[in-house]
Amino acid sequence: MNAHTPLRIGSSYVAALRAKLPHAVLEERWQTDRQATITVKLEALPEAVRTLYYVHDGWFSTMAGNDERGLNGTYGLYYVLSMGGAEKCHMVIHAQVPEDKPEFPAVTPLVPAAVWYEREVRDMFGLEPVGLPDARRLVLPDDWPDGLYPLRKDSMDYRFRPAPTTDAENYPFINDAKQETTVVPLGPLHVTSDEPGHFRLFVDGEDIIDADYRMFYVHRGMEKLAETRMGYHDVTFLADRVCGICGYAHSVAYANSVENALGIVVPERGQAIRSILLETERLHSHLLNLGLACHFVGFDSGFMQFFRVREKTMMLAEMLTGHRKTYSMNLIGGVRRDILAEQKLTTLKTLGELRCEVRRLVDILLSTPNIGGRVTNVGRLDPKVARDHSPVGPVLRGSGFRRDTRADHPFAGYLSGATPINVQTGCDVLSRTLVRVSEVFDSMAIIENLLNDTPAGPILTEDFTYTPYKFALGFTEAPRGEDIHWSMLGDNQKLYRWRCRASTYNNWPVLRHMLRGNTVSDAPLIVASIDPCYSCTDRVTVVDVKKSTTKTVAYKEMERYCRERTSSPLK
Amino acid sequence: MNAPIFRDDLTIKPQGLSMSNEVAALKGRLLKSIGRSVYVYRVDCGGCNGCEIEIFAAITPIFDAERFGIKVVPSPRHADILLYTGAVTRAMRMPGLRAYEAAPEPKIVVSYGACGNTGGIFHDLYCVWGGTDQIVPVDVYIPGCPPSPQATIYGFAMALGLLDQKLKETHHVEGEGESVPLIHPEIPYALRVAVERRAREMAGYLHGKVIAEAFLAALAAPEPASVEARLAALTAQESDPRVVEIYGQLRAVLRAMVVEQAS
Repeated sequence: MNAHTPLRIGSSYVAALRAKLPHAVLEERWQTDRQATITVKLEALPEAVRTLYYVHDGWFSTMAGNDERGLNGTYGLYYVLSMGGAEKCHMVIHAQVPEDKPEFPAVTPLVPAAVWYEREVRDMFGLEPVGLPDARRLVLPDDWPDGLYPLRKDSMDYRFRPAPTTDAENYPFINDAKQETTVVPLGPLHVTSDEPGHFRLFVDGEDIIDADYRMFYVHRGMEKLAETRMGYHDVTFLADRVCGICGYAHSVAYANSVENALGIVVPERGQAIRSILLETERLHSHLLNLGLACHFVGFDSGFMQFFRVREKTMMLAEMLTGHRKTYSMNLIGGVRRDILAEQKLTTLKTLGELRCEVRRLVDILLSTPNIGGRVTNVGRLDPKVARDHSPVGPVLRGSGFRRDTRADHPFAGYLSGATPINVQTGCDVLSRTLVRVSEVFDSMAIIENLLNDTPAGPILTEDFTYTPYKFALGFTEAPRGEDIHWSMLGDNQKLYRWRCRASTYNNWPVLRHMLRGNTVSDAPLIVASIDPCYSCTDRVTVVDVKKSTTKTVAYKEMERYCRERTSSPLK
Repeated sequence: MNAPIFRDDLTIKPQGLSMSNEVAALKGRLLKSIGRSVYVYRVDCGGCNGCEIEIFAAITPIFDAERFGIKVVPSPRHADILLYTGAVTRAMRMPGLRAYEAAPEPKIVVSYGACGNTGGIFHDLYCVWGGTDQIVPVDVYIPGCPPSPQATIYGFAMALGLLDQKLKETHHVEGEGESVPLIHPEIPYALRVAVERRAREMAGYLHGKVIAEAFLAALAAPEPASVEARLAALTAQESDPRVVEIYGQLRAVLRAMVVEQAS
């Protein structure tokens, strides 16, 4: 991607868009040879996004709102599509919302994948998506005052903390079920390891009829922080702290976005080291998920074994970066630490041991007869639903789509055409697990290849100039799928806007469809199969609508039921 | 016009909780010596998962905190210790308080990780209340971003009086005429900086420093052999081809500087 060819990949999409909407395309700007921002008239926005999405095999990557009133008197909306057709590139549809009329036609009715993004831009900028059926908040907490929009440049200081408006959690949950159902709330505090999130399962007997969830319990205001307190070169370390599991992928995506914006050519050795570390991170993350998959089907010795083996990858990370997690290895322009012969040999040796151990554990896991029964045809993600909602990573590849950022949009040290894509067509929990198993072995091979053939030369370049108001996308394939960042530089050695989208953001909306039609005892397993959130909660309150009674079941009971599937606590 | 903005002017502070003397006394006894296994309940108030994942590592086979009787339980009602991670976000204030209320007295609160201790990198943001101690009284702080499993187990051991606090403290008093020595005063400063910078570009901060030091030591060695011969010997001793490559680069820097000086 560093090769500077005059050829601009994706020009045919721009031409197609100009033909389809002759008077609506106002401007095209190219950030790199594979990234274009096309400004369209506001009223043509939904149709432009729909055309690229459904006619030209685009996938919804992210959407960034931006308060550009200080630059051109409007709010900017940037809908980012990752094109999956013959010309693999990123197309950004940009529309300007006037300051005096802060509303825009919603894209969601035409492209359902946009729903969370449009709810978020309403929360953060106060821009009203006209025609969006879902009027609930997404990101801001229930006790946040109305009419205060954190990301508007003139709304508030980044440290401003308004007094809570309420102590009640009053988020309305949506139930589309036709019949009467029982409500099973789960969360926000979970027993196992992950972020808080609240689930409502609407059940009839044992069957899940519908589900809804409230996320963003951990919204802290990172994007505002990146624009205010921190310099643009410090944000690589902030991006490491977006996620404790795949933080390095975020850090690379962020560095990548600034490097794309400023046209920085990162030395090849630095690129290769980034890829080696990204794959190391993938190893620990996938082994973690395989361990948890064992746990949720009641195979706890497998869980402990996977965690034992996973420690090797953590020690590997500590040796290569100095820390088990939160590597803090990236700078704009390269990385902070080389891999010398000693580290290389230790890594190769550890990978050899790891391969034998993981192979044995996977054999044991897949030949345990109970496993097949618990995970086959459970939590189906229909390919049609997947196409409409643009999920990413193993969730998408488990439903038969050949999409992997490392192969589609090569970045860092991944060479074009050299990265295998693992696909399964079962659409169920088993398929997603098998995709992860194959990726573990592929990651080890990628690391070995890169180590045996590391390019020479420096690991860091300092040869670039900070140029105000440049913007571009950066992307990585994190263990959970594509991470994509949109950054715009300011004029004060800071960022004007940073939009960071984690992979799981695109995977949550399809979870509802995956839960429907399954039984309550499979819910934790299905949630774990998208790899965000591992379980239910400290306790479960069951409300039986028919009898108007409330019964509280200990979480342990709920988890036991998931593992053993006898003596339902709901009876 | 541009009056400074102080954080306290912007911030509503959540009200802290207080505890009765009786409970405080019980808790003091528990902290000194618990004398039995303890049950821990995790409360994630807005962490990034890094802390959670290291707690997980601490309770699984390699580190195995259960051998010290430390067990993670699924309900705050069973807990002796509440382990708070993450900067407390607005949305997690009420769930965090509910978990605290649900645990039986006397309970120990451990604040875990940089964010739990102070709010960390997020300490002053609009959707964050700060560290755990902004909403509940904290007894033990475990630092790190995230703390390693070793640090986690050590922190618990401190909390439970499993370890006597035997830190070997020493004091150093600066003597008459004592000062920190300069590195390689005999090498021109500009040359040293150029070598160190090139080494950092090639091998990063950690390895670059080691490699530059080896190179400068060879350069400054008071041997009869010529500089070129000494550096050739240094390169010949090295078995790592990558380090040999970097030495080559450093010699090029040296040559460029010397030629520049001479001409």
